[in-house]
This record gives sequence, structure tokens and C-alpha cells, in this order.
Amino acid sequence: MTTQLWALAVAGLVVLAAACLEAVRSRRARSRSVGAAAATAPEPYILYFTGENCSVCRTHQEPALAKLDGVRVDKVDAIAQRELADRFHVYTLPTTVVMSSEGRSLHVNYGYAPSTKLARQLSDARGGELRAIATA
Amino acid sequence: MTASLSSVVDHSALKVNQTGIIATVLVAFIGSAFYRPLLVLIPLLAVVLLVGTFAPQLALFKQIYFKVLKPRGIVKPRVVPDRPEPHNFAQGLGGVFLAISSVFLLPLPVVGLALALLVAVLAFINVAFGYCVGCQIYFQLGRAGLIKA
Repeated sequence: MTTQLWALAVAGLVVLAAACLEAVRSRRARSRSVGAAAATAPEPYILYFTGENCSVCRTHQEPALAKLDGVRVDKVDAIAQRELADRFHVYTLPTTVVMSSEGRSLHVNYGYAPSTKLARQLSDARGGELRAIATA
Repeated sequence: MTASLSSVVDHSALKVNQTGIIATVLVAFIGSAFYRPLLVLIPLLAVVLLVGTFAPQLALFKQIYFKVLKPRGIVKPRVVPDRPEPHNFAQGLGGVFLAISSVFLLPLPVVGLALALLVAVLAFINVAFGYCVGCQIYFQLGRAGLIKA
């Protein structure tokens, strides 16, 4: 039984260390990506990084994006367009980036982002632009 | 926004496969505390996963799904546009880790069991959250140009 407990402790430590590393890496990549630029548009829009082998993209992310009525979604193949993916530090799929109409990244979501979260981020993006117009 | 894919994957088969991996590792892990020979389940599982990677028609848990669970309506199919390669790669990776775990089981049982548990944890993350770590490694290797992803 002692062997099993030690093994459980070792596996637990490895999982904990991996979770911490992932959290740090994700936070660092997110902070580096915010502010990166892409094309301008009349309204805030979403850059959606995906790939042929990403099953979560099809089963979860695409249905979530489809719920966002009237929002422009630019689908990007992260492998084919490596340069653009690198600019936003895409290290996992799906990755969604909420872009302002000026083409600046405002929110970067690594991994699946539910429609409610994306809708909130888009609303923030629109609100920020309205504030900018009001103070201009 | 349409998926430009011609292949489909039954995700229920993948879930059954991952559940089989978790169950086998747990039986070996807990059972070996009371009856040590149950540890043999880990090398057996490694063989099952590796054989299933190279010959999908011999993948034990998937065959249980296709021959028993699906025809009897116990598990409903969930066919989605997807590629089987990343999932096969993830399964093969699990098999490799279990094979390494098997090597350690007799001289260093703590290391062997911990490796087997990690494989079960990754399978659980896939079943519970749909996050396939092996598929992500496949994607990263593809981006690095090491495999054709």
C-alpha cells in the first residue's frame, strides 16, 4: 500500500507542477499578445485560430462562435498561417482573439472560450470604443 | 465557417477507449495493493494501446464499442468531422508511456505506477474536459515541421 501512496504523491506533484507551468505560460503569452495588431474593421471582431486536427474546435468552439450573431469571425489555420499565429503566441488550439475595430488585440483566449465569455469581451471592446469616441 | 474535412471520427469510440484506459490503470493501481500480480494489467494495456495505434481494427476498447456497446445502444455514436491521426498519435503516446512504466514496475514500482497514473490522468482530462494533450503535442510537432500535421 505504501508504494501506491508514494506513486500517488509523485503523480500528484507532477500534475500540480504541470498545471502551475501551464498557468504561468498561459498568463505570459496572454500578456504578450494583447496589443498585437491585425487588420482594421468597422466593428470589433474575432480572430479564430484553428487547425484540421483540433477536435475541440469543431465540437465546442465553432458552435460557441455560431451563437454570436452578426459578429465577424476570421478563421485562421494556425499551421498554414504560422506567422500570424506566432504574432499572437498561439500555443494551443482553439485560440480566439477579440480584436478592436482598429485592429488591436484586446482579449486572448487560449483553449475553448464559451460564447458568454466572448460576448462579454466583445461588449467590452464596443464599450471601450464608445468611451474613446465620447472623450475624443 | 465550415470544416473542410472529408474524414469523420466517432468521438464515442474515443471516450470508450479513454474510459477503458482509466479503468484498467485504476484496477491495476488499487488492486495491486492487495494482489500484486494485477500489475500485469499495465504492460497488457501498453500492448493493447500500441497494437491499436498501428492496427485500429485490433484496438480492444474501440472494438468493444463498435461490436458490443454501439449495436446494443448502450453508448450512442457521436460522429463529428475530425481527423483520426491526432487521436491515434495520442493513443500511441499513452502506449509508449505505459511501456516505459512497465519497465519500471519491478525495479522501481513507485516510478512505474506514477507514470501509469499520469496516463490515466491525461485520459481523464480528455474524457471530462475534451482536452487532448497528445493531440496538442501532435499539433506542436506539426508546427515545428517534425511531422506532417
